[in-house]
Formats: sequence, structure tokens, C-alpha cells
Amino acid sequence: MMLFADALFGLPNWIDAIIRVVLVILSMTLVVIYLTYGERKVVARFQQRLGPTETGPAGLIQGIADALKLVTKEDIRPKNADRWVFEFAPYATFIPVLMMLMALPFAEDWGVRDLALGMFYVFAILGLNIVGILMAGLGSGNKYALLGGIRAAAQMVSYEIPLVISLLCVAMITGAEKDMNGTGTLNLNAITAFQETRPYIVLQPLAFLIFFTAMLSELHRAPFDIPVAESEIVGGCFVEYSGIRWSMFQLTEYASMWGWSVFGSVVFLGGWAWPFGVDAHWSIQLGTTLVKSFLFIMLIFWVRTTVPRLRIDQLMSFCWKVLLPMSLVQMLMNGFILVYDWPQELLALTSALGAAALVAIIIRRAMRRPSRDLVGTYKTLGAPAQ
Amino acid sequence: MATEVLWWIFAAAIVAFSAGTVFSRSVLHSAIFLIGSLAGVGAMYLFLTVEFLALVQFLIYGGAVTVLILLALMLTRSDARGTPDAVNGPQLPFALLVSGGLMAVLIGVAAGTDWRPGGVPDSPTNIGIETISERLFADFGAPFVIASALLLVALVGAIILARQEEGE
Repeated sequence: MMLFADALFGLPNWIDAIIRVVLVILSMTLVVIYLTYGERKVVARFQQRLGPTETGPAGLIQGIADALKLVTKEDIRPKNADRWVFEFAPYATFIPVLMMLMALPFAEDWGVRDLALGMFYVFAILGLNIVGILMAGLGSGNKYALLGGIRAAAQMVSYEIPLVISLLCVAMITGAEKDMNGTGTLNLNAITAFQETRPYIVLQPLAFLIFFTAMLSELHRAPFDIPVAESEIVGGCFVEYSGIRWSMFQLTEYASMWGWSVFGSVVFLGGWAWPFGVDAHWSIQLGTTLVKSFLFIMLIFWVRTTVPRLRIDQLMSFCWKVLLPMSLVQMLMNGFILVYDWPQELLALTSALGAAALVAIIIRRAMRRPSRDLVGTYKTLGAPAQ
Repeated sequence: MATEVLWWIFAAAIVAFSAGTVFSRSVLHSAIFLIGSLAGVGAMYLFLTVEFLALVQFLIYGGAVTVLILLALMLTRSDARGTPDAVNGPQLPFALLVSGGLMAVLIGVAAGTDWRPGGVPDSPTNIGIETISERLFADFGAPFVIASALLLVALVGAIILARQEEGE
């Protein structure tokens, strides 16, 4: 494992690691508290409301007040819940997200550890994320929680495939570019440095669209918030949680939203390297990464307020019939272009055509007349017609 | 020194989780303990500086296999909570046979290995991902393709078995 830079103040390696971890956790907490505030303000703006205004100037300390309220609330455990599974579920969801934040390069020398297999590490660790949600669903002893858990697991397992393939498309390009050692790489810091002149979103718009859609689904954000839908299954796997454990889940949700946004901006938007170059001052680099990640989050909020929630069968068919074939097409195109060393403009062109096709497919599916018959499982089960 | 202490902590954790897997009264708890045990093995690979293998361990065993087990438990059991259930069924002799054979193999391998430093001729070190992909896609390209074709056939077969068309 590589360090990002020399150890801080020349301390031993492990003390340096602890300091960096603590710094990342503190900034994560701050970001999460202000993300909840930001989400309420932004969503209020979209819905022509004011959002929080009373607590502090313009409601600025609303997030802190909410956090204090949640921590002091009673922690209730239902009588027929499976005790240890129920109590450890919040931690099991939180640990993978925390481990993911440890590998992200926030600026050239800023981050906890600079892993040689950074990109692979991120999606290997995030595969463990499902376990916590399943534990919450199974351990709560509640039918709604179980239903939410099943939905979450089915959704996350399915959407992980297009997500990973879209990242593989970028990995193919970084594999073809040569770094100082003359080899391709999965190191996130090196991937960022490759994007000094142009971010990969220019070369891979289709992969970016697929990544963004699958990311929304992994995060359970609207329009893919079926597992936690309040109006259908009253909050899904979180229904029995309260107080500090519920706020652990909220913390995880917002922290992973931030983590994914930083990861997405590192892989597709050029992270700290574009547009100011790899030699820019660290404060500019750090600022670039943060601004990009907040743009990402803004986009997530925007989609949330604009697109209505999908039905579970629409969600699954969208993943398997649209996103997965499109991501495979992108990978095939990349393979041909990179093997025969055709110019990179061709990559941008083919991928842009693919992205246009994806958008056209989505619009066409959205415009389709709703079917009058029964759909999905109801049709298979042959439920009586209305 | 610090590495050794950490090694012992993780080794103890693996043993504890494995014991939990075997002795717990509910299948759900066993599955969760299994995740811990497999993740511990992944951490062991990190101590051996084979990062790629460690991440594959997390991805395949931690993320995919155990999630599959949990999902199967969720979908097949009417009572999905951690209530104790009998695990000794008619499959007992076969289970004994398989686990006995596996134990014999493991003990045989462990006893046959020269554990002194330098005893193993090419012990794994931090191998670059390019080397791994060369071996996988160039040297062992044909078995890789055959294995993926096999998986595809299994996938299609599973869909045909699971899917009941109308009027059947």
C-alpha cells in the first residue's frame, strides 16, 4: 500500500493513518449534516417552499439540531426482533462506506491511503453494503422490513452489474494509457492524473450515464427508492429503527452519497486534475474535487424532485433489458477501438451516439401508453382481471 | 511487531466466526457469521500482500455468495427471523461424507507443507494486475471462455426452470 505523501509531521506510519482516518470521519460528519440541510433547502426550492428557516440564520444549524434530537431519542427494539442481527445492522451498512472513503483521493496528496487497485477496491467493498440492509430487513421481525430488504437486495444485486461494467469501460482506457512505469493502472490517483487534459466523461458519455443511473439505484435515491418507499412499505428495512440506530442509517445514506459523488467525479469528471492541471496548489485541487462532488449531489437532488418513482417490475426490466445491454455495447466498442489503436475521438463519437440512443430509449419507454392489463408478477400469477 | 499482533487478532476472529457458523442454532445467524469468517480470510490475504486476491475474496465471497445465501433464506423460509431450526435432516450421511473428505484434504495439505521461511519455492508476493490478466486471458484463455459458457448455460437453465409460462 502506498502513502499519498510523506507521513504527516514525520510521525510513524500507523499514527499518520489514524490521524488521516479521523480527519476524513470528521469532514464526513460535517458534510453529512450540511447535506441534510442542503437537501431540504434544494428540494424546497424545487417545490416552491422555503425549507428550514428558523434554526439559526437561514436555518443553518437545522442539521445540527436534528442530529442532537436524533441522538437523544429513545432507542427502541421490537420484542420479536432478532436482537444481535437487529443491533448490528446499522454498523454493517456503515463500515463498507467508511472503508470506501479511505481510498478516495480528495487532492493529489490528500486521502488516507493510495491503493494500487483503488477502483477495484471501491466496488469490491461496496458489494458488502447489501449485507447490512439484508440484516436490517431480516432481523426486524416485521413484514414491511422483510419486503424492503428483499427489494433492496434484488435491486442492488441487479444494478451492480451495469455499474461495474461501466467502470470497466473506464478501466479499459486507463489500461491503454501508460503512466510513468509504462503500465496501465487502477490507481484512482493515477486515473485522475490521466484526465489532466480531458475528463473521461468526454470519451465515455454512455458509461457515465449508466454509472449515474446505477449509482442512484445503489443509493436508493428517487426514482429508484422502492426499498425505502414511505408511501408503499413505510420506510422498508428502516421501519423498526429509531433514535441513534436510525440516524446511523441516515448517516450511512448521506455519507455513501458523498462518497459515490467523489468517486464519480474522480473517475469521470477528472477529480482534482481537470481543469486546473496536476500542478495546481492543493487548495485549488481540493476545492475542485469538492465542487464536482457537490455538483453530482445537486444532480441527484434534481433527479429526485423531477422523476416519479418506478414500479419494481419497471425497475428490474430497465436494468436487465436496457442498462446491461447498453453497457455491454460500450465495452465492445471500447475493445475494438483500443485494440486497433484507433484515435480517441472515435471513442468519444461512438459513446456519444450510444448515449443518445440510451436517452432515446428512456424517453420512448416513458412515453409508452400504460398497459390496461395486469403487469409483472400479477400477470404471471394469473390474478383475476379487474 | 504490530503486524503480528494484528495477525493474531484476525486469526482469533476467523476461528470465532467459524465456530459461530457451525454452532449457531439458526441458519440466518450461521450465514452472517460466515460473512465475518470469509472477510477475515480476505484480511489474511492482505497480510500475505496479495491485494488482488483479498479484494476478490471480499467481492465474491463477502459480497456475492453470502448475499445469495441470505436472499435464498429470505425467499424460502416462511419465518425469516433468527428462530432456531433443525438442521439434521436425511442429508446427514452425505454431509458427513463431504465434510469428512474436505477435512482429510485440508489436514493432508497442511501436514504436507514445509512451513519454514523459504520452504515454499515461489511464495506469492504483490503481483501486478497486468500479470494476472496476462495469465488469465492469454495463457488460460480457452478454459476461461469455456467456464463462462458453462455459467451462461447454467443461467439460462435456471431461468427456464424458475419461470413458469402461462398455460403450463
